[in-house]
Amino acid sequence: MDGTSRGRLFGKNVLEAVFRASPDEDLFLGELLVGVDEATGRRYLFRVVDVTYGSEHREPGWAERVAGTLLSDDARGEAGMHPLHDQALRTYRVASCRCLGYLTPDGTEFRKPKSLPTQFSRVISPEPADFAFLRTKMGDLPIGRLRSGETVVDFEVGIPGSSLATHVGVFATTGMGKSNLMKVLASGVMQRGGRYGLLLVDPHGEYRTSLAKHPWAGERLRTYAARRLPNTSALRVSLAELAVDDLRTAYEWSRPQEEALFELERHYGATDLRWLLDFAQVDDLAGFREIDLNGRVALNTLQVVHRRARRIVELPCVSADANVSVGGAVIRDLQDGKVVLIDVSGLGSTEEVLVASFLARKVLDEWSSAYLEQPEIHERLPVVAIALEEAQRVLSRNRDRESNVFPRVAREGRKFKVGLCAVTQQPKLLDDELLSQFNTFFVLGLADEKDRNILRSSSKQDISALGPEIQTLMPGECLVANLEAPFAVPAKVHLYEAVVRSTDPPPARMEAAPANVSALVD
Amino acid sequence: MGVEASLQQAAARLAELLTGGIAALSDPTGRDLVFEAEVSLRLLERRPAPADVWAVDGGQCVVADARCVQLLVTRAARVRYAAGERVLEDEGELRAHLLGVGEDRASLAALGLAIDAHTSVDANLLRDRWEWDAVVRSIEEAQPGALVLVDGDLVPDWRIPSTFMGELLERSAERNVTVAGVTKHSSLSRGGAPLVGQLELEAAVQFGPRAMWWAPVARTRSDFGAGGLQVVVARLDPDARFAFRVDLPVSADPEEVLGAMSAVSADAAFPGYPYPLSVADQLAACPPWLRQELWLELDELFHRAGVPVEVRERAFTDRHKLMERA
Repeated sequence: MDGTSRGRLFGKNVLEAVFRASPDEDLFLGELLVGVDEATGRRYLFRVVDVTYGSEHREPGWAERVAGTLLSDDARGEAGMHPLHDQALRTYRVASCRCLGYLTPDGTEFRKPKSLPTQFSRVISPEPADFAFLRTKMGDLPIGRLRSGETVVDFEVGIPGSSLATHVGVFATTGMGKSNLMKVLASGVMQRGGRYGLLLVDPHGEYRTSLAKHPWAGERLRTYAARRLPNTSALRVSLAELAVDDLRTAYEWSRPQEEALFELERHYGATDLRWLLDFAQVDDLAGFREIDLNGRVALNTLQVVHRRARRIVELPCVSADANVSVGGAVIRDLQDGKVVLIDVSGLGSTEEVLVASFLARKVLDEWSSAYLEQPEIHERLPVVAIALEEAQRVLSRNRDRESNVFPRVAREGRKFKVGLCAVTQQPKLLDDELLSQFNTFFVLGLADEKDRNILRSSSKQDISALGPEIQTLMPGECLVANLEAPFAVPAKVHLYEAVVRSTDPPPARMEAAPANVSALVD
Repeated sequence: MGVEASLQQAAARLAELLTGGIAALSDPTGRDLVFEAEVSLRLLERRPAPADVWAVDGGQCVVADARCVQLLVTRAARVRYAAGERVLEDEGELRAHLLGVGEDRASLAALGLAIDAHTSVDANLLRDRWEWDAVVRSIEEAQPGALVLVDGDLVPDWRIPSTFMGELLERSAERNVTVAGVTKHSSLSRGGAPLVGQLELEAAVQFGPRAMWWAPVARTRSDFGAGGLQVVVARLDPDARFAFRVDLPVSADPEEVLGAMSAVSADAAFPGYPYPLSVADQLAACPPWLRQELWLELDELFHRAGVPVEVRERAFTDRHKLMERA
């Protein structure tokens, strides 16, 4: 990056800029450039949102005609027969940009755009000093490096860990780097030494091995697994700690099935789900229906609930014994500011949500109780994020908001320092009202226009002109939109393996000096 | 007779002229031309491009029009290509001229030509004069063996003395520089039909659609000077949309010069038209923004000269605009 002119500004308005560049100027969508206003000393930061062709020739169809001539030459195998003379003088490129704001002449302050740069100002590549203002906005959870088009700039991009409480969305289609981003985020949490906690529910078992390799994993990672896996603690959830609301969150229930749940809850007179064990052992469902429920539930409805009850109680990770539950341990780990990985691979999707719902409720209850009853303890609690893959399963529009803990976290969590980290390939399926509660978006490549549209309307930064850029993001490239940075920051996410390689282990703890036995003998 | 009837009559006559098969050649603007008895088409081969190619074109625009008196500007642009590279790009000096209410005489005198003082003066004469001046300068500056291309025919405005052109051709011959004029829209006709269009159709039949060809059409009278000119029609690229009239000195070998011209007529945007001329054309053009800028400059000069605004406005407002013509 140097001060070489990349173009000259010629038009548009306060929020948009259009500049002309030479025909061979390699301009990229999302590239960050600087408009140097010599008259005022301001440096306007532009983001390229489109690049088109321009020509000195004003005749309609000129370019098409030239292309036609060249194409005919190709067809005859006579490429080069009709050169386009002086192409550099006759054609050019036109870049449309969003004006992100400007740096004051002393370079200390970045302001939103409210004035026009002088027409025909030079457009150049940015210099490191042009991003200095961003440094304080990048927080303590690094995720990658600043990206300008396809160029990676030596400037760390991240988010403040405190913003985990105001909810984080990770949006990307398959293969765009969601998992890598989550691992990099987990790495940041681990290295903050207890300031933040992360509850990461992993349905595919893809994080366990790689997170365990992190130099800080020994101190800052705790893994629970629903099946027997090396170096993990057993994930055991007690029916005594599960609530009917967890069932409602995990499964789709019809109205009659909801009624049946209500009847069963009333019949067993319990607030937890220990009654599932008794109910699952009922052999004569018809008799049970007639005698215990006074026929108030249709038999086929009861059969569905019964089938689900049996499945739940038979899950290896579910126990009737209240003493074996991991709920308390998970809470303690999170209170210590650890990354808690819940490996639910092997469980079905609904059971995975059941576990996540239970843990999320547990965290929210614990943090909200502390907030309300022990504010001085709450003050010391780390900010915790609950990360959930395929978040549309629990945050969609048609999910029951009353019983579902996740919308509650989205609406109330920030007050208690509990945030959601929703990972999804289909943001369009999320409840837009809930999505508006998310202050941080990591937008990776999204092919579906509907997905991009919903993010545009909910993002805390204007990303309305960035549709083509989002569409063309390569794996590992993302936009970070939050309230801290003055615009959606383009980033290249660190490769987790590289992070592991470059991270030093945590400083060794001071140990007591061993006793000098020989001295004692003497 | 309503318009329909008159239109029918005109169309019938035009159809007769276009398809009548009358063989007589003519050019309503070519007072000095002696036509070939018969036009014969010949195949043309592309030759290497000359190392030094110049192109000259003139432009004009009316800056202020009070009808009784007009202020117009002219310029003559030049461009030079050396070994295929553009090495000179000269838009030409803008020259202001007054026409009308007796001011023509001063403009005529400023041309520096031995022209009768009572000769009528118009924009064509003013533009042509300095265009030819640019041609002369190009001949002087060109390398031996160079080609100087001129937009239009080589027969200057009728008011410019024929000796001028004779001297120009003699000087170009002395310097071994070939001057060639290319006319995009020629008035050459055969029996009332446009000759160039007819030849294009005939050549397509005779040689096929992708042939380059040329045909001798006329020569200037021998008293033109320096042996006079030869007028040909040529298609300079296999993919040319059009053929053009080309004027060459009689002494030039048409196949050699046209072949060389063909080599600089292969631009993908304008196959068949010498590319340097298209550049000169753009440089010489006086686009609306230039007219606007000149008007503002003129207005400032009026202001300094104490011409009241209302006088300027009443003198130069285009009253046609009152009619809101579409």
